[in-house]
Amino acid sequence: MSRIVVPGELLADKPIRMEAGFIEGNNTYSTLLGIYHEEKGVLVPLEGLWYPQRGDIVIGIVEEARLNAYNIELNSPYKGIIIAKFVETRLQRGDVIEAEVKEIDETKTVVLMRPKKLFGGKIFDVKPSKIPRIIGKQNTMVDQIRNGTKSVIMVGMNGRVWLKGGNVALATEAVLKIVEEAHTTGLTERIKALLGPQSQPQQGV
Amino acid sequence: MGGAGEMNATGNIPELIVNGKRLDGRAFDEMRPIKIVAGGLKNAAGSAYIEWGNNKILAAVYGPKEALPKHTQDPEKAVIKCRYSMAPFSSLEEHGRSGPNRRAIEISKVTREVFENVIIREDFPGSEIDIYVEVLQSDGGTRAAGITTAAVALATSGIPMTDLPYAVSVGKTGEHLILDLNKAEDNYSDADMPVAIGPRNDSILLLQMDGTLTKEEVMRGMSMIKKAGQTITKLQKEALRAPYESIMDRYK
Amino acid sequence: MQPINQVKGEYVRELVNKGIREGGRDLLEYRAIDVKHGMLPNAEGSAMVTIGNTKVLCGIKLDVGEPMRDKPNQGNLMTLAELLPLASADYEPGPPSPDSIELSRVVDRGIRAAGVIDLDALFIEEGKVWSVFIDIYVLNYDGNLFDAASLAAMTALSNCKLPKYENGEVIRGANLPKLPITNTVTSCTFAKMGNKVLLDPNGSEEAIMDGRLTIANDTENIVRSMQKGLHGAFSEQELDHLLDKTFEKSKELRDIISKSRSD
Repeated sequence: MSRIVVPGELLADKPIRMEAGFIEGNNTYSTLLGIYHEEKGVLVPLEGLWYPQRGDIVIGIVEEARLNAYNIELNSPYKGIIIAKFVETRLQRGDVIEAEVKEIDETKTVVLMRPKKLFGGKIFDVKPSKIPRIIGKQNTMVDQIRNGTKSVIMVGMNGRVWLKGGNVALATEAVLKIVEEAHTTGLTERIKALLGPQSQPQQGV
Repeated sequence: MGGAGEMNATGNIPELIVNGKRLDGRAFDEMRPIKIVAGGLKNAAGSAYIEWGNNKILAAVYGPKEALPKHTQDPEKAVIKCRYSMAPFSSLEEHGRSGPNRRAIEISKVTREVFENVIIREDFPGSEIDIYVEVLQSDGGTRAAGITTAAVALATSGIPMTDLPYAVSVGKTGEHLILDLNKAEDNYSDADMPVAIGPRNDSILLLQMDGTLTKEEVMRGMSMIKKAGQTITKLQKEALRAPYESIMDRYK
Repeated sequence: MQPINQVKGEYVRELVNKGIREGGRDLLEYRAIDVKHGMLPNAEGSAMVTIGNTKVLCGIKLDVGEPMRDKPNQGNLMTLAELLPLASADYEPGPPSPDSIELSRVVDRGIRAAGVIDLDALFIEEGKVWSVFIDIYVLNYDGNLFDAASLAAMTALSNCKLPKYENGEVIRGANLPKLPITNTVTSCTFAKMGNKVLLDPNGSEEAIMDGRLTIANDTENIVRSMQKGLHGAFSEQELDHLLDKTFEKSKELRDIISKSRSD
């Protein structure tokens, strides 16, 4: 059984450790609007923010280029930073980058590494809770969009999507449909239908 | 709250209870009709709209984002900023002044304190969360309706909370306790007690009172509020579920 | 401005240079417009206008006031605009910004210049006239507040009640006559980007526009107010062309308002 739950709602009358849940006394409660899968004891957020984790791929915008570090805007209360000496080419204010979370320091600053500059293209923010669905299991969903639109697509765990080339309008439509319908079943099939036959990986090549 | 004694002197108090019913036909423990819509404002991180009797209120949430100016930052947790305001065209009477007055500033403060209790602020040190409550049309009980709406707006923003508060007021006219006062009742009643509750433990998050009540009446008022709260909580949950369920239904 | 809007703007510029817009709309085409009125019965008039994701509410109140000294037989008109902080991450609570003051004054000028309200009909008695307060409430920002606000104000005015004044008391509520409206004014706002001009700029387009021109009119060939904004310049030929476009496009807007009157 799964059900939509709201913040403060009782999930279980026993303590169960789970993401987006909290334990008080012998009970477990939700902190978010989400879908609770009772058998699995898993709460999938319908609405939720991004909590940076080491290894997350993010898309950021250079907010300030200082001599020894760059401040990166991450669509988040957490500030991003890149140490300048680890970057080969100099970045500028307004540059869009894809990077990996190296660590989160004690001031909750997100230290990034391996930045790649993204030139041009279209960028937009979506709710971070929808990102796992845009990517899909083993990248199935995002690959489907790539194949179906021939667009270059980058997805940041911080709730940001970057598109370039190919059919950007169709790719945008697909991403927004996934965002709206993330909590439904059969979504992969519907996105396949939207994108047409090219979205499927080619056999035997 | 007018203060009944004062009104007696003018000889002008309208009778609030006629034949055991209130002026708008409600029973003593009956709320006005409530309709809540979750979401709706695209730019905000979260938003909600309520029609509570003749009250029409929008709430929106921005953040968490870096708290500015910097001296407002708390290195341990997020700071909450709240602005309750009434549109100059919101009342049936004359055009109001724009900008928050002393009343609005106080309501902003007590509203903020409700949400300081339930938002898991430790997750976002150094940041701020902004809550805006805009009263577009008012008919008494706007602070309670505003808190109820803001709770839904926060839930749609994905900001983690330990509870989903609601609020409603109870008042007194003559010997009767009455639930959810409208403007006319608010003006001429003998007491008004707006309360916000965190339903998980029935914790009292906002409590104001003005007028004259006995201890027994206060406690009886609290149980009226909690009983009404079951309905309000249900409406809040339905509003939050509705946008998701309508999409699920599309593909059934 | 949020850094992301700047980046989004760059993409929009790329498209516009090729003569295309997001969502496939023509350069001189409005987004979907939705107009509702009468949703706030406490106010004498109210209207909500949605243009794309821009949402503007207008509320109108009428109070008894004193006439201006130089116009003792005329009612008063006051237009105010609030860029509510819930409408955009770029709006801050506090006193009116220059942008909100410009918005309210541009809307106000169109209404006055076109003689939309018969101010003489608002005279009550010696020293007493009706004051009309038009409040523009921006609820969600996605560009072109000027056209949304003037459309909201005009729709609210067109469906506004006139309270009664009897024995020193204002009588409000239902069963009142309509505020006498003698004309309909609307505006068309254009954004200039490089050498391209577009109608009804959205938020990302406004983020990178160099110039903005708002033209308000009531009938064909008559202009009632204009406002050019930002550093970018318009040529005479462009002005000539945009006046014609305004005359053409304003028909759609006037139709929307007249339809609201018959609802």
